[in-house]
Amino acid sequence: MAFYAYKDYTEDQEVLEAMNQVMAGNLGLHWFNANTEKIKGHASEPQRGLTYDDLNIGSYGYSELPEYLRTSQSMVARGSDKSGKLPDMGYVVNRKSDVWSDNVCELYEEAKARRWAPATDILWGALGEKPLGETLEVACAQLYTFLQECELISLDFPSRWVALVNQDFIEQKSFMCSQMLDASRLLEVFRKRALYGGAGLKRASVNAEQGLKEWLWAETYPQGSVSINIALAGILLAIFRHVAAFAPSVTDRAIMRKAMQDSGRWVSYGTGCLRYHLEHQPGQRVALHEYLDESEHVMLGIIGSPEFLEPLIIISGGGLEKDQVKAGRVAVSKLIQLMMREYFERLDYAGLGGRTERSRLQHVIERIQVA
Amino acid sequence: MAYLATHDYLEDKNFVDKWLYTMRTGEMDLSWMNAKTEKVMPRPQNARRGLTYRDLDLGSYGFTDVPEKVRENRSYAPRGAEIPEGVPDAQPWVSRKSELWGFNTESYYEEAVSRQWNATTDIPWDRLEGVEMPEATGKALSQLMTFLTEVEMIATDTPAMWLPRLNPDFIEVKAFIASQAMDEARHAEVFRKRALTTGWGLMAASPMNEMALKHLRDADSFSEMSVALHLVAEGNVLTMFRFSEYLSPTDVDKKIFRLVMQDEARHVGYGMQHFKYVLENFPEKREVLHAHLDEAENISFAGAAATEVTESFIILAGGGMKKEQIDEGIKVTTQFNLKQMHEHFERLEKCGMPERKDPNRSKLYQMFLMGKAAAEEQGIKI
Repeated sequence: MAFYAYKDYTEDQEVLEAMNQVMAGNLGLHWFNANTEKIKGHASEPQRGLTYDDLNIGSYGYSELPEYLRTSQSMVARGSDKSGKLPDMGYVVNRKSDVWSDNVCELYEEAKARRWAPATDILWGALGEKPLGETLEVACAQLYTFLQECELISLDFPSRWVALVNQDFIEQKSFMCSQMLDASRLLEVFRKRALYGGAGLKRASVNAEQGLKEWLWAETYPQGSVSINIALAGILLAIFRHVAAFAPSVTDRAIMRKAMQDSGRWVSYGTGCLRYHLEHQPGQRVALHEYLDESEHVMLGIIGSPEFLEPLIIISGGGLEKDQVKAGRVAVSKLIQLMMREYFERLDYAGLGGRTERSRLQHVIERIQVA
Repeated sequence: MAYLATHDYLEDKNFVDKWLYTMRTGEMDLSWMNAKTEKVMPRPQNARRGLTYRDLDLGSYGFTDVPEKVRENRSYAPRGAEIPEGVPDAQPWVSRKSELWGFNTESYYEEAVSRQWNATTDIPWDRLEGVEMPEATGKALSQLMTFLTEVEMIATDTPAMWLPRLNPDFIEVKAFIASQAMDEARHAEVFRKRALTTGWGLMAASPMNEMALKHLRDADSFSEMSVALHLVAEGNVLTMFRFSEYLSPTDVDKKIFRLVMQDEARHVGYGMQHFKYVLENFPEKREVLHAHLDEAENISFAGAAATEVTESFIILAGGGMKKEQIDEGIKVTTQFNLKQMHEHFERLEKCGMPERKDPNRSKLYQMFLMGKAAAEEQGIKI
């Protein structure tokens, strides 16, 4: 066992005496005059309910959080009275500009408000009544197998970091928990869809998984966030939008719409987080450029995987006939161009400009031709 | 921490050329179309419940057929997919089914997803406008909420940090743990919000409880973490929520406790099912779990000795700080403490560990018997 309580409390006379005193009615009440701010929070717009923004007041608020958290390493709720010996939880993310984004509270509220359930909110029966042709169904099964791999990585990323992030960033940690639920719900809906169609799952992708693991295991949170929240979530958002447009069934379209709304939040947070990070740590711009120089190859590993590319071409063109494949290639080519443009634009917006010129990725993308 | 993929795809000429060739000519490999996987046709068994994970419990895709030791998949491949050579190792710590499985896990997850609620809009915060609580009960409520915010913080971090350590083949458990992290984040949120709407702000942190709670996070195995978190800590908290609902000074507080109880009961339910499963399927683990319970019960006892929580509970239970109110509060709090311990040992017994109901085995049980006898002398019954 890694941690033992300091005492065997059942045999500690001091503890037993303290308990006996209280239960005899001799209350010490040391907490009664806690040295904390007295406030009464109100919903600024009752229709919207009581949000975290409404509680952004004085010592309880996030606006007052310092850049460096040097004195809070325990579980103490931000703003409460700290006294006595508190445990050190070993947080390694203690700098606000490593995790914060100005829109994180709104995104958390949105995540809760837009909750949905794959079991009941998707019209599964519609697909059962009008099944797809075999080729399209097998392509869907492959695409949904691939998407599950992406969501497993998306699920692990916030989980890996949340316990390492200082508790004072409660709103951001709450958002990470909502990301965990988003990812597990998408993993669920993609698995259900793949199996419901009758073609079973298909093949896992070595290239995509190798790349995704590199992103997942990034050394720092800001690096990982750029990779997972901007690059991966951006790729997925573009795929979801594309598949919604070319969806072979109303069920697939409904799934993609839900997925879009969830992944849109990830991209929004990732972009805001990078922006905040660079505004407060401009020196990291060079380091992040170098990280992206090294790690952007993963994007090609993902979108170049036959387990992703080929079923997407088939779905986009509607089948395997020559003209269908051509139409599919044209559509996928546009998707990839759009995906890259959006990625570079997001980085630029967040303060990491110049990647279009600098990135090795761009040079490869420019070579795409559709005969 | 960094991992490097086996290829730099931008430098891999064959990979790039093949990709560009496919885009240019439309010639595709399509070998994935013949993946050696099972064909199944799941359908909802109950239309009202929709398509559930249980409906997907078929053949190689199901959870029933997951072996005790998962040896074949250590990657991010979804269970049942064809796994080619070269996929990376996800480095799972837990690849043994009995170390994390519990009967009904998939349904606990489905329930969690369908019963998500919103601390911002599902609590009638506007009904607190104009409610001025007396100083004693107002501060006591704030103190209780401050403590619960601390508790929920550790309840968020602990399951979350275990999630990436679980083999991806255990999708349903990973999904349940993700839902739990979200539940706990919502609980921390609702308790914080309630404390900050009393007019007294947050109160004092609870060092003794925090020291004890750290123990929950730093367990050696998932099963040990689960018994301490899901069974002991959340079991205690569930009893506390039930009493707190009863003691709630306003309807708003009652609603808060009713909603958190429904989530907490799910976590305790999973914990019990897992505990039962591990005892039945991994009997060698019994003594390890006993040893962990010795520590968990020690911290559980420490919780009762954290005076900032006990005192605020007494004041809330009695409705104030006059002598007769304190006397009444002590009576209720004694019942609460005994009920917590009683329910803890009942749960263990139901899961297959009746031997902890032995004062020579468990110091907490010893304390329970002593406390019960003393309470009965005063006419207090559980």
